[in-house]
Amino acid sequence: MVRLSKWLLKAGTGVNKTLSEILVCPLSKQALRVCEEPPSLISDSIGVSFPMKDGIPCLVPTDGKILDTDDTMKHDNAADDSANNK
Amino acid sequence: MRRFLFSQTSCSLLRRQRRPKDIPHRWFISSTSFSTAEYEDGDAFQNSPSKVKIFDRHLKRTQRARAAWLLRPNDSFVHAVAENLVDRLEDCKKTFPTALCLGGSLQAVRQMLRGRGAIQKFIMMDTSYDMLKLCKSSQRDSDNENIETSYVVGDEEFLAIKESSVDLVISCLGLHWTNDLPGAMIQCKLALKPDGLFLAAILGGETLKELRIACTVAQMEREGGISPRVSPLAQVRDAGNLLTRAGFALPGVDVDEYVVRYNSALDLIEHLRAMGETNALLQRTNILKRETALATAAIYDSMFAAEDGTIPATFQVIYMTGWREHPSQQKSKRRGSATISFKDIQKQFGNGS
Repeated sequence: MVRLSKWLLKAGTGVNKTLSEILVCPLSKQALRVCEEPPSLISDSIGVSFPMKDGIPCLVPTDGKILDTDDTMKHDNAADDSANNK
Repeated sequence: MRRFLFSQTSCSLLRRQRRPKDIPHRWFISSTSFSTAEYEDGDAFQNSPSKVKIFDRHLKRTQRARAAWLLRPNDSFVHAVAENLVDRLEDCKKTFPTALCLGGSLQAVRQMLRGRGAIQKFIMMDTSYDMLKLCKSSQRDSDNENIETSYVVGDEEFLAIKESSVDLVISCLGLHWTNDLPGAMIQCKLALKPDGLFLAAILGGETLKELRIACTVAQMEREGGISPRVSPLAQVRDAGNLLTRAGFALPGVDVDEYVVRYNSALDLIEHLRAMGETNALLQRTNILKRETALATAAIYDSMFAAEDGTIPATFQVIYMTGWREHPSQQKSKRRGSATISFKDIQKQFGNGS
């Protein structure tokens, strides 16, 4: 377990402390949840997951993937979502 | 600019029929809707936020990724603007421990910072991942300050920052590509802590006026019509409205004009590509005929060339400053609370003059 977490830290998949305090979902402005595998940030309020490349989170609405309730990922244009919500 | 509008109206008088399926006439439809979009942009400040989409954000993202590869390390124009912007931090006694930098020329701002404003945490946000990668790698090479830098890929129109969490928001030449500029500024204001500072530099309406004129004349000659080649840019008078509309206290706007000289019009286009400032209007035509391009360069040369053969390009930069309200900021006193009258002042100073 210790070796696994060391490997995760080396791979740089974690979000640094500054960002984890400041970042929120770009569409709903609610808090984000960090997911280790695959590295991504999940917004539970609207059910969208934002990918993370090399420790850099991609919080552009068009990059988000909508999470189905049975955990299958579907690629969708989350920007349409925001247009409907707003 | 006036010439451009005049040729617009003359075009619409000559041709009344709309043929939307006919490709060669597509430029015509785009030019009429462009003129209304331009006015709508101005009117949007009075009405509720309009959902008018002027810029293609996805294309802008791709262009910025390309600009990351073409970036010139010592671009004098971009560095001059960044220097001017960051210099304003020296005018405040306040320190800004957490700062957010939005799009535009991120690297230039980072380089020009040099410890001003006592920034400890610097968050860089851009729509393009490649641009951030470039900043990250150049940061590793030349790190001489103890600033903790973080990178986030994000859109200025959908700001992913919690309310009241940053002390300073800087945007150097990035906000003039947003579709909803008032909305983006409101989100910036919300992200700021009370007594937080918002500094932005955007391109103004006078920018590239020579290029606008040359493009219009060339297109009128060669193609008999015009399509938008230069994006609609904010006017100085609107910048103040933008700040007050977003709810910033103590707004301040100033303008600076930079004239950059190039050896030829094609050099200007290369520079624009390197800055990521090429055309990303939704209503652009993707076709640019070789003849039209050469005609534009020739007209630019003949109309604006200086004696030594170089051509000037004007960049009008509007610097906007705003603070998030805080009880410590100066406010005008309530009406009727005056304790001294003008007569007293006159008595005091009138004796001397």
